[in-house]
Amino acid sequence: MALIDIENLEVTFGSRGHVVHALRGVSLSVEEGESFGIVGESGSGKSTVLRAACGLAPVSGGRILIDGVPVATPRDAAFYRRVQMVFQDPYASLHPRHTIDRVLSEPLAIHGFDRREARVEQALVEVGLGAGFRFRYPHQLSGGQRQRVAIARALILEPKVILLDEPTSALDASIQAEVLNLLDRLRAERGLTYVLVSHDLAVVSHMCERLMVMQNGQVVEQLTRQALQDHATTKDYTRNLLTASEGFTRSPVPHS
Amino acid sequence: MSPLLSVENLRISFPSRQGPVEVVRGVSFTLGRERLGIVGESGSGKSQTGRAILGLTPVSGKATADRLEFDGIDLRNATPAKWRSLRGARMSMVMQDPKFSLNPVMTIGKQLMEAVKLHGGASEARDKSVAMLEAVQIRDPGRVMAAYPHELSGGMGQRAMIAMMLVTEPDLLIADEPTSALDVTVQIEVLRILDRLVSERGMGLIFISHDLELVSTFCDRVLVMYAGRVVEELDAAKMNEAKHPYTRGLLGCLPKIVGDVRPLPVLARDAAWLE
Amino acid sequence: MTELDADHANQGLRQWLLSEQPASRRQARSGQAYRAWLAFRANRLGMLGLGIVLALVLVAIFAGFIAPYDPLLGGDLRTERLLPPSWDHLMGTDDLARDIFSRVVHGSRVTLLVVGLVAIIATPVGLLVGTTAGYFGGWVDTVLMRVTDIFLAFPRLILALAFVAALGPGIENAIIAIAITSWPPYARLARAETLTIRNAEHIDAIRLQGASSGRIIWGHVVPLCLSSVIIRVTLDMAGIILTAAGLGFLGLGAQPPQPEWGAMIAAGRKFLIDYWWVATMPGLAIFIVSLGFNFLGDGLRDVLDPKAQK
Repeated sequence: MALIDIENLEVTFGSRGHVVHALRGVSLSVEEGESFGIVGESGSGKSTVLRAACGLAPVSGGRILIDGVPVATPRDAAFYRRVQMVFQDPYASLHPRHTIDRVLSEPLAIHGFDRREARVEQALVEVGLGAGFRFRYPHQLSGGQRQRVAIARALILEPKVILLDEPTSALDASIQAEVLNLLDRLRAERGLTYVLVSHDLAVVSHMCERLMVMQNGQVVEQLTRQALQDHATTKDYTRNLLTASEGFTRSPVPHS
Repeated sequence: MSPLLSVENLRISFPSRQGPVEVVRGVSFTLGRERLGIVGESGSGKSQTGRAILGLTPVSGKATADRLEFDGIDLRNATPAKWRSLRGARMSMVMQDPKFSLNPVMTIGKQLMEAVKLHGGASEARDKSVAMLEAVQIRDPGRVMAAYPHELSGGMGQRAMIAMMLVTEPDLLIADEPTSALDVTVQIEVLRILDRLVSERGMGLIFISHDLELVSTFCDRVLVMYAGRVVEELDAAKMNEAKHPYTRGLLGCLPKIVGDVRPLPVLARDAAWLE
Repeated sequence: MTELDADHANQGLRQWLLSEQPASRRQARSGQAYRAWLAFRANRLGMLGLGIVLALVLVAIFAGFIAPYDPLLGGDLRTERLLPPSWDHLMGTDDLARDIFSRVVHGSRVTLLVVGLVAIIATPVGLLVGTTAGYFGGWVDTVLMRVTDIFLAFPRLILALAFVAALGPGIENAIIAIAITSWPPYARLARAETLTIRNAEHIDAIRLQGASSGRIIWGHVVPLCLSSVIIRVTLDMAGIILTAAGLGFLGLGAQPPQPEWGAMIAAGRKFLIDYWWVATMPGLAIFIVSLGFNFLGDGLRDVLDPKAQK
């Protein structure tokens, strides 16, 4: 049985007359310990899948199961201890007036964890920051350091699943490499399951064993990393994405 | 043939509590009618370099240069009137986010036509604007002319913005991350438009980006900037022969679709690069 | 030697405060406050405003020591009525032969009471209503904001009149009337701020940690709205002082013989032509204190409001 099962997920925004179908019948399943990628362009609904899964977007149809059990709406404390998320923009995902210490201890307080001091310090060490960062404010950190804090926050409740919403798209290339390596190492050490959303095919291909291409709120296709690397795709859209990702070519590309 | 633009020892500094901080420290280059890429990470001074050429350094900053010449005109002591006659008409800039660069309460058509009229040629302003929108691959120029900026998608907005910058047929275009906010497929289309303008009209293009791979496939020449300096100048085609460890590090740390290097090599910064 | 040591200790404290790597919660918080103070200190008008407001507080506390005469008991009605300013009576005397300077000094207590109580009542109410409405949206928002609209629609003075008619004249009822009519703008401001904060990623993030709505509003939304509301309250203080004085002027606020600046102006109105100081002196006090609050508010805005920077 898969760890995460999403069946025919539908998400609609807006009301009366102006309805936007953000997701139309999206299904996917992720095994425990796997890293699954979702690729698409803006408006494809790739982030909405993650947001719907953790209750930040209204689900209007379909089912979400974790370990074969449908999730509760609104999500309960047990859900948040198993599933956590890392957001795209490290400049917006940390409260500007809270110290790193507060950012990391608050989830511990909410869920009644013991040994909070030790856990906070350990979490900082694990993401490669060190305890010296504990009482700093976000504005005293660089983008890469902030994203490390966001990863530490997601890990501090010891979840099994981490949802990664474009975790490196706001970072410089050299910092991106560091954060991707960190995510890779943490997954190996803790046996985590990742669902990673990105517009960057290279990032997804590097991080994920399987991936799904999305367009206009629908699944275009699912394929393995190997298939992506071999260009073994049947869909024009995926092929266009692949070509475009390889940089500019003087010869014209056929229009989609 | 003399170059279109020559820059020698450009320095830009901003005041801070600890005294002035130099964000651009002695940048020199020349530009012909070609595609020149400037690549660097955030804080490398690439955007400030682009802005300084157009005299758009923020008021708090101070830009100096031994030489800053555009088509024989010394830009260092240009009067505001001189700048007005140059900007828009002969040199233009495309910014990253079209939403902040278009007037939100004016239709695209009105803004385009105004740009044409300002630089002469009121009579055929409308035809020229429509032609320009067609040139940037907008399929329904009539609708876009009547649209307000918020009614356009990101890609459309960016194309309308490029049309506005190009409708006056400038000799020099500075594009600062013009495609970073766009999807990859739209990005390639926008680049194709810029590419044609260089090869057909003989425009000079400075393409500022953080994306080394994109720049190396699109431009003719690439300047790699680090901490306010040009650390390496390369032929775009010879990117693989880069010598400077920073350029090599930047190329190496990108994940590839094909190939599985794990962990990714990280860039070890060397204090000596600052010199 | 000792001076040098003190200097050294000062340097140490400064370094401790400005450390980029604070070692405790307390150090982080004090460092943050110290940085804000450094930024505020550079603002001259803001400092002037702070000085005026502090002076008001000090005068109110030590009114008994500062005032040379009793504010309520007059002197000899035959010889000491309506005397012009002199060294004996810095601001002259009024028609009941009372020393105006002493009355102005004691009047600062009333002013401070009005300002303090309105701030204590209106700010939390406005913040709570605004952030709750903004955070939840939907029908909660609709109900709370319509209530706000209703309160906003009351003209202050008319409501005060109604209160006074119902409860009898007095400074307490005037304060209640002012407080009730002054929270709606803060609620609207807090709501507008909350609407922009509500969808921030850091709010989504804390939601995903399983935090309750109360915790999110109190611990995450309110601190971000607080600065703009404080700025607004400070800037409104001048208006509140004027309203209180206006009520006093109409005879609806503080009752004679209580020394209240507005009521004092009203009393002096009768002799404005011949004895200008009777009305002018309390007017001057209102003017200076209002100006002080405005300067302070502008200074705070420069420091606290990120949108005003750059």
